[in-house]
Amino acid sequence: MAISRVLSVNRGEIAARVVRAAQALGIEAVQAVSVADRDSLAARLADRCVVLGPAPSRLSYLDPKLLVHTALATGCDALHPGYGFLSERAALASLCDEHGITFVGPRAETIAALGDKLEAKAIARAAGVPLVPGTDRIADVASAQAAAEELGYPVLIKASAGGGGRGMFIARTPEDIAAGFDKASNEAREAFGDDTMYMERYVENARHVEVQVFGDGQGRVVHFGERDCSIQRRYQKVFEEAPCAAMPNALRAQLHRAAVALVASLNYRNAGTVEFLYDVDRQAIYFIEVNARIQVEHPVSEQITGYDLVQLQFRIAAGEPLALTQAQIPLRGHAIEVRLNAEDPYHDFRPSPGRIAHWAPPRGAGIRVDSHCYDGYLVPPFYDSMIGKLIVTAANREACVERLRAALDRCEIGGLTTNLPLLRYIARHPDFVHNHLNTRWLEKTGLPAFGAQQE
Amino acid sequence: MTTGKHTPVKPQDIENLIEIFKQSDWDEMHVQVGDFELFLSNDPNATGPARAAPAGTAPVALTAAAPAAPTAKTSTAHAPVTEAPIPDGMLAIRAPNLGTFYRAPKPGAPPYVEIGQHIDADTEVCLIEVMKLFAPVCAGIKGTVREVRAQDGMMVEFDQILFIVEPAA
Repeated sequence: MAISRVLSVNRGEIAARVVRAAQALGIEAVQAVSVADRDSLAARLADRCVVLGPAPSRLSYLDPKLLVHTALATGCDALHPGYGFLSERAALASLCDEHGITFVGPRAETIAALGDKLEAKAIARAAGVPLVPGTDRIADVASAQAAAEELGYPVLIKASAGGGGRGMFIARTPEDIAAGFDKASNEAREAFGDDTMYMERYVENARHVEVQVFGDGQGRVVHFGERDCSIQRRYQKVFEEAPCAAMPNALRAQLHRAAVALVASLNYRNAGTVEFLYDVDRQAIYFIEVNARIQVEHPVSEQITGYDLVQLQFRIAAGEPLALTQAQIPLRGHAIEVRLNAEDPYHDFRPSPGRIAHWAPPRGAGIRVDSHCYDGYLVPPFYDSMIGKLIVTAANREACVERLRAALDRCEIGGLTTNLPLLRYIARHPDFVHNHLNTRWLEKTGLPAFGAQQE
Repeated sequence: MTTGKHTPVKPQDIENLIEIFKQSDWDEMHVQVGDFELFLSNDPNATGPARAAPAGTAPVALTAAAPAAPTAKTSTAHAPVTEAPIPDGMLAIRAPNLGTFYRAPKPGAPPYVEIGQHIDADTEVCLIEVMKLFAPVCAGIKGTVREVRAQDGMMVEFDQILFIVEPAA
């Protein structure tokens, strides 16, 4: 291995995951922590732990110079950013490059290009990846109606300068356009000083699907199948599964091809995820964005392919060529991940940090728990509320759902409030069991039903 | 809460104290340094510190450097730095963040402070460097330098003891 010592600069479960993956490959791991995390699992597992600064992230995990200084001062030759924090900040990747530290992730210029939404869309378009069909500027009601006829109703009419829903409306018929267009463009002129309007196809029944990809930066790219992350609350994923069982095989093949074509066009290096909207009614996929990092939900892809993706990140970062062909990556079985959060699902998901008095996650065949928690661990109040991930695997979705329900029932976490009641409720809901889901399901159906059940 | 003009307590110290309190399982915290006083409580009806504290609920006084407090309740088995204790009656000046410790403003120049030297709260005692950015560290304490714990040119971690100071009476 061309990497001998890595600085792990994230926290929580992913830091523990990174430290273990490094050590499994014979790489020494140094864990950088804030003072609030000096007792964390990653700090205990690492060969060495150093305290960066005080608890607030901006004084510790969010300071690129402090991280690179720490890597140099501790003799590390690589840095793993995890997810969140600075993982998609091109400045950290380039600072590593400047100082001879191997950044375990994509090249800085790739991160910068994909981080710009418009540029990312241009890259996708150039690679032949479908985007949500839409128009350029629309002048008036008549041209809006003509464009909508072409795109197919319903359509979303938006102000080009818009934001916050102002100057925006959904039209299901030509009459809706006639009734709403002038009002919306007036609203846009008043709010933004610009009444330029455009139109996109409105996806009423959408699933969030994403493809796990890997490139070696030397021309080779493979995928590890797709994930379905449609159960979300405020754009935060709650359940993630692989594969997307609701998707027909022909469309799945198209999805994988699109993702690979996009990252191949960038000569992509390391792990990435290409996110799409799956328009269930029209059986179409549209590009959303690329996440240039390892993601929270990567374990479900590991479970159905049998590969350790964090170890693979280290191998690619060390300059090893991707020795895998697509044929060597079978997609077998079904996996579901749920996020365990220290938050109160009965009180608007308010965070509930505190000391874990009792930590007894389920164990057994087909059950995996990725977590940094243990008996007596203090969940600090400074960071996000995720305390772990429960991942279950079985031969098919039906068996997997069954296993998930049993595992959640055996999960015991004492001392603080968690979202376990909500996870258990969803796992039993007929819409989840029968896979009748979309990205609005949790907020429109799941949460109101969960709340009503308590009354 | 009042802040006198000669107190060595900075806004950052107050932020740190509040964080320490939030992280702890204490019911309340009462800090007094000179004429600076800080009272924190989880009780919404609390009106102020108990002046005659009953046994077992003694207020936490900021007689030693504040960041030392949380280490008492965390396990030391995995503490990144094993430090010699602070001698009785002495105070510590600690690193504000991880970085490289320099005793002098530039190579070859005399150190900011020597053992035995008298310092004031606003005396600069060393530099901490992060990627060529050199930040001076102020003593924050009035007294006499008794020990230099950190090594010149070496990495220090956040909260690591840099100097031991005998406070002025």
